[in-house]
Amino acid sequence: MPDNEIVVVEKLVKVYPGGTTAVAGIDFAVARSECFGFLGPNGAGKSTTMKILATLLKKTSGRAKVAGHDVDRDPTAVRRSVGFAMQEVGLDDLATGRDFLTLQGVLYGLSRGEARRRADELLELVGLASVGGRKVGTYSGGMRRRVDLAAALVHRPVLLFLDEPTTGLDPQGRLAVWEYLQGLSRDGTTIFLTTQMMEEADRLCGRIAIIDQGRIVASGSPRALKAEVGGDVVTVTVDAGGGQGHAAQMARAEALLKERQYVLAARGNGNTLTVTVRDGGAAAPDLLRLLHQHQVSVTNLSVASPTLDDVFFKYTGRKIRAQDASGDEAAQVLRPWLGLGKR
Amino acid sequence: MAFLRETYYLYLRNLRVWVAQPMNVISPLLMAAFFFFLFGAPLSGVTQLPGFPSGDYHAFLAPMVLVQAAVFTGSDLGFAMLTDILSGYFDKLLLAPINRLSILLGNLLVGATRALAQALVILLVALALGVSVRGGIAGVLMVLLLATVFGLAWSSLGLMIAIRTRNVQLTQSTWLLFMPFAFLTTAFMPREFLPRWLQIAVMLNPVNYVLEAVRAIIVQGWEWEVILPGIWVLAAMTVVFTALATWLYRRATV
Repeated sequence: MPDNEIVVVEKLVKVYPGGTTAVAGIDFAVARSECFGFLGPNGAGKSTTMKILATLLKKTSGRAKVAGHDVDRDPTAVRRSVGFAMQEVGLDDLATGRDFLTLQGVLYGLSRGEARRRADELLELVGLASVGGRKVGTYSGGMRRRVDLAAALVHRPVLLFLDEPTTGLDPQGRLAVWEYLQGLSRDGTTIFLTTQMMEEADRLCGRIAIIDQGRIVASGSPRALKAEVGGDVVTVTVDAGGGQGHAAQMARAEALLKERQYVLAARGNGNTLTVTVRDGGAAAPDLLRLLHQHQVSVTNLSVASPTLDDVFFKYTGRKIRAQDASGDEAAQVLRPWLGLGKR
Repeated sequence: MAFLRETYYLYLRNLRVWVAQPMNVISPLLMAAFFFFLFGAPLSGVTQLPGFPSGDYHAFLAPMVLVQAAVFTGSDLGFAMLTDILSGYFDKLLLAPINRLSILLGNLLVGATRALAQALVILLVALALGVSVRGGIAGVLMVLLLATVFGLAWSSLGLMIAIRTRNVQLTQSTWLLFMPFAFLTTAFMPREFLPRWLQIAVMLNPVNYVLEAVRAIIVQGWEWEVILPGIWVLAAMTVVFTALATWLYRRATV
């Protein structure tokens, strides 16, 4: 259903003047009201794609339609339908939060009075009502993110672009932003976000595309992608009572499990059974019932799911830069100054 | 209609940015005072020289003070736009469904406004120092108009450099580029008093024609032979600079 697709991208290519290919021919679509995520490391082409779709950059070739409008032929119509919170948070430091948002409203066609009311409403929404009269330059990192997000919402866009919406935020600030976004998503706003954070993609997005070196290497729901990695691992600990019967009982249990359709692999070792299944949550009750029927007593059972990290690794052979690496770097730089010496 | 509205609100915003930093307002005034006292006091004796066109050195110097203030406005304005480009605010404006030329015009108009405000203050200081404008009230208005348009032209040049280089150091040092234009003029001495090579440089410098037109209005009155060339040169400069700035701006933002 093309009508249901709010973003349609075909064979999109972006080559920068220096000759660097940032986007090497990607195809994807975003459905109305879904939350779609681009997951990939720095320099994968996430921001470039988003800037093309938001009309800040010209594509080299391919087709891109946003909210029914071609990004080259009708950029103004695209701008009217889209809100974009950029990674580099573009704020006017010398204006107060309220004045900054009011001007945004005016530029999106609201009257001055309407824009002022909308600014107050948005300050309330992102929890900055008490500091609306302060200059933006005095805001903390988290507050800057939130006022920037508010600016992207000023015209009630049907589609929201978020380029790494929580990069550089502390866990608390991150959680607050996630909650706003989940609220918006519930109210029907389509969200297209980029992230380097597995947890973020997992928590917010119904569907993701893994992008690396300008290409989409895999896409689907986080759940389906994780299932492709090889399924969940259920670990069962058995109380076999020791002695002669033990090895036989383990072998019997292993054989029983292997007969089940949803079991991909099963292996016994000591008194632990390691079972790989498609869906651990769904399989666990049946596994328990089966083992119980055959007089195998279970003392412990745990289910572990593969992470999106595993997914990224499967498709690219590399890990996405560890989330807290930047924090570690900062700590390394600071160490000599704090008198801590080298680690 | 929408274009004018957008331009107006962006103009107000840029004006607020300028006024928000008191140094922006104070430093041009300090410069003006500096020129009047530092050059005015020690050099006022030269008016006694035979052939000097004015008996009042402050009157002779006033156009120079006006011109340098407008030239440095251009440099400041380029820096203000660069600040927006680097902070990402400029991109935020580009994302809005507006005619993008309103962003450029909203900046240029602030340059013109600054030049007008500075010219007004400089003229008041000159009047306080006993300078009388021979062109009368109409002459004062004409000087203000010329200073405003001149500010617009140099603001275009400042914005061009900011858009083209996107570099703080380069944009900051544009005033160095502007120096020869402001000083290779008959700012301190009439042309007849200058060495031959300087006379040629002065003749090639478009700024000098504007300077001499302003000086004519103050020192001599409506001396059209001097004023008209100034007006033509200024008009040409303004058209060329704003057209170039618009072209560069469009190329950088499409």
